[in-house]
Amino acid sequence: MVDTVSFLPVSNFDGSNPSEPLQSRRIPMKVQLLIFFGLLAVGLFAALLTSNNGSDFVTESEHGSLVSLNTAKPELLQPVSRGPAAGVSEKSNRLFAKDGENMVAFPWNNSMLSWQRTAFHFQPERNWMNDPNGPLFYKGWYHFFYQYNPHAAVWGDIVWGHAVSKDLIHWLHLPLAMVADRTYDKNGVWTGSATILPDGKIVMLYTGSDADAVQVQNLAYPTDHSDPLLINWVKFSGNPVLVPPPGILSKDFRDPTTAWWTSEGKWRLTIGSKINKTGIAFVYETKDFITYEKLDGVLHAVDGTGMWECVDFFPVSKTKENGLDTSINNPDVKHVLKVSLDDDKNDYYAIGTYHEKNAAFIPDDPENDVGIGLRYDYGVYYAAKTFYDQNKNRRVLWGWIKESDSEAADVQKGWASVQSIPRTILLDQKTGTHLLQWPVEEIESLRLNSYDFNQVTVQAGSVVPLDVGPATQLDIIAEFKIDKEALDKATGSDLTFSCSSSGGAVKRGALGPFGLLALAEDSLSEQTPVYFYIAKGSDGNLKTFFCNDQTRSSEASDVNKQIFGSVVPVLEGENLSLRVLVDHSIIESFAQGGRTVITSRVYPTKAIYGAAKLFLFNNATEAGVNASLRIWQMSSAFIRPYPNIDNQPQ
Amino acid sequence: MTKIISLLVLQALFCFTLFPLSYSANSLIETTCKQTPYLDLCISTLESDPRSSSADVPVLGCIVADTANAKASATLNQISTLLKSATDPKLKKALNGCVELYNMIIKHDIPVAIDALEKGDPKFAVEYATDAGNNAQDCEDRFGKSSTNSPISGGNKAVHDLSVIVESIASLLL
Repeated sequence: MVDTVSFLPVSNFDGSNPSEPLQSRRIPMKVQLLIFFGLLAVGLFAALLTSNNGSDFVTESEHGSLVSLNTAKPELLQPVSRGPAAGVSEKSNRLFAKDGENMVAFPWNNSMLSWQRTAFHFQPERNWMNDPNGPLFYKGWYHFFYQYNPHAAVWGDIVWGHAVSKDLIHWLHLPLAMVADRTYDKNGVWTGSATILPDGKIVMLYTGSDADAVQVQNLAYPTDHSDPLLINWVKFSGNPVLVPPPGILSKDFRDPTTAWWTSEGKWRLTIGSKINKTGIAFVYETKDFITYEKLDGVLHAVDGTGMWECVDFFPVSKTKENGLDTSINNPDVKHVLKVSLDDDKNDYYAIGTYHEKNAAFIPDDPENDVGIGLRYDYGVYYAAKTFYDQNKNRRVLWGWIKESDSEAADVQKGWASVQSIPRTILLDQKTGTHLLQWPVEEIESLRLNSYDFNQVTVQAGSVVPLDVGPATQLDIIAEFKIDKEALDKATGSDLTFSCSSSGGAVKRGALGPFGLLALAEDSLSEQTPVYFYIAKGSDGNLKTFFCNDQTRSSEASDVNKQIFGSVVPVLEGENLSLRVLVDHSIIESFAQGGRTVITSRVYPTKAIYGAAKLFLFNNATEAGVNASLRIWQMSSAFIRPYPNIDNQPQ
Repeated sequence: MTKIISLLVLQALFCFTLFPLSYSANSLIETTCKQTPYLDLCISTLESDPRSSSADVPVLGCIVADTANAKASATLNQISTLLKSATDPKLKKALNGCVELYNMIIKHDIPVAIDALEKGDPKFAVEYATDAGNNAQDCEDRFGKSSTNSPISGGNKAVHDLSVIVESIASLLL
């Protein structure tokens, strides 16, 4: 399109309108040429002036609103390449290696790769999975849907996979629930949530990436509500029911939540988005899930957090230890707002109060608002979603655990991603500031024989093998007591500690690290420490950290080698407690009853099959540790296709 | 008299329309490329593709990704040719490793990055573009520390740098 602004400087700059009549006398040739070149020079001058440095450059977005391109600071974290000009081997680029090391691909063989498949975590038989979708309980079955690529072990061609279970552990695969067969979801049947209506019927709202790649919300429901397996789904003929509102980019509007019932007899739900770098969540009201009214303002917004994906919003009881239906709101209740941040691929939550009148969420602690405060999980965990399980009166949390190895290895082994074990989620009544997550109790049905270790002393600087037989499928409950005298005597310092920059379990402190070495090989050439580290401040106050160290988890260099973790609140009188689920290439670890959780993916090359062992370790310099553990061998959950159902997707 | 006036007006029109036109076609490219670590490569890649003049940021990313894919295919052909005449076992080993890496880049990394850019889930474009760059670097590393050992340095560098540009552009969309 021709920019008509160019015509303005003509009359502004040369001070005279060229269409004005010149003097009627004939002008000499020299003067004509002078005027000609004069105008030319002016033209050049004007062009130079209009082409400024673009710092205020504004472009028109697809919806006609003006969006400034330069308000966002570039998201690049690495500096401009400082490598040799001719060569390619520049180490300054963080993108090169996931851990800064030389990233030559490891020669993975089938034995190593097939060991990586989990025994009791949900995963399809092959190919790629990501976000959990629409979890619900209906007519005796738990339903789980998920983002799935039927064609490859990488993201793409996304449709809805489906599985059912009686107990959230033993899953049976069903045919695909929804595929990309409409214009309004042609480019992807993306994440969505279920709402169970008072009459027991189910409505599903999900995001479609439409034929023009605009993110729209669509309504779907079971074709046959009398089918307990909910195999077939029908999409509402009037889809889409929601499109991006004015001022919102077409690709910043996705992942509708479960709806909650207001005291005025309407449903409300929330959808995440962003305006520049402010993450926001809109609230929509509806009576029929077909027509909606967008409420003014937002449920909440936090500057600098970027796009809010997979928003979740639910009540938790302040006094009871059961879950609450999504619609509950009363003084006994706090609300949790959770977001998945596109920018850093982590899930964050904030506890606060929901005011129905103006549909606003006020966090208890704005310094730790959603997106800048607490995380569900300090390891690999994203796109999490809860549902109210009316069967057992609990709120259950699902989370997507992607791979930490290379995409090439995923393609070679033919699959990518697992889901975490479903977790119950409750307000931590003791702190009031944290949520507690804990694997659903049904997982205990997988426990086989157990091994008890009572009051094992682990002296400073020692490793104790735990003979439990095979160590790749374990449920571990442990309690640690640190030598009180050493605690009191240790000199405090003001040095700040963080798991990620600590240098890992090899770096010894006075009062830590100590814990378990999972998926460890006899010679400890490969090991994954899961541990506590107690830091004592110069004021004598103790801070406990809970970490998971992948730096020596594998001899392969093309896997993630970070150290995950966070501070974990430990209250007066509490011992340090730990629960760890080891299931081949996934380790889920819970500290202090689930107050701080870390999930990691681990890919040893040697510490696999019979060579994987479990150890206690204490790398502190000044304190002995006393550990008591109960460890179970875990059976497989035998996740497989539902028998005798045609049209299986995987 | 009027002839002179019309000549002058025509001349002015000619100057004033040309400059701003070329400016507005380049400005999105310039602003976007300034947020990548390879400004010149980014600009030259985009300007040599006619689609870029009316493209939005996701399409700019796709254009660079297409170029990366073309360079990757060319490099893969180079590798295959070299393999036919290679006799040194170390060289053959490196080249064979590179075949696998480039298959990954061409079949999965770049197509997924383009798909994610088009469909509007940029975090996957960031991830897979990063992977493409890492794979190109991995290939280069297989020839040893000195860059003079690698017979395909040019191709590896091009694929790597273009992948980094795609990653940077996709990051803008997060």
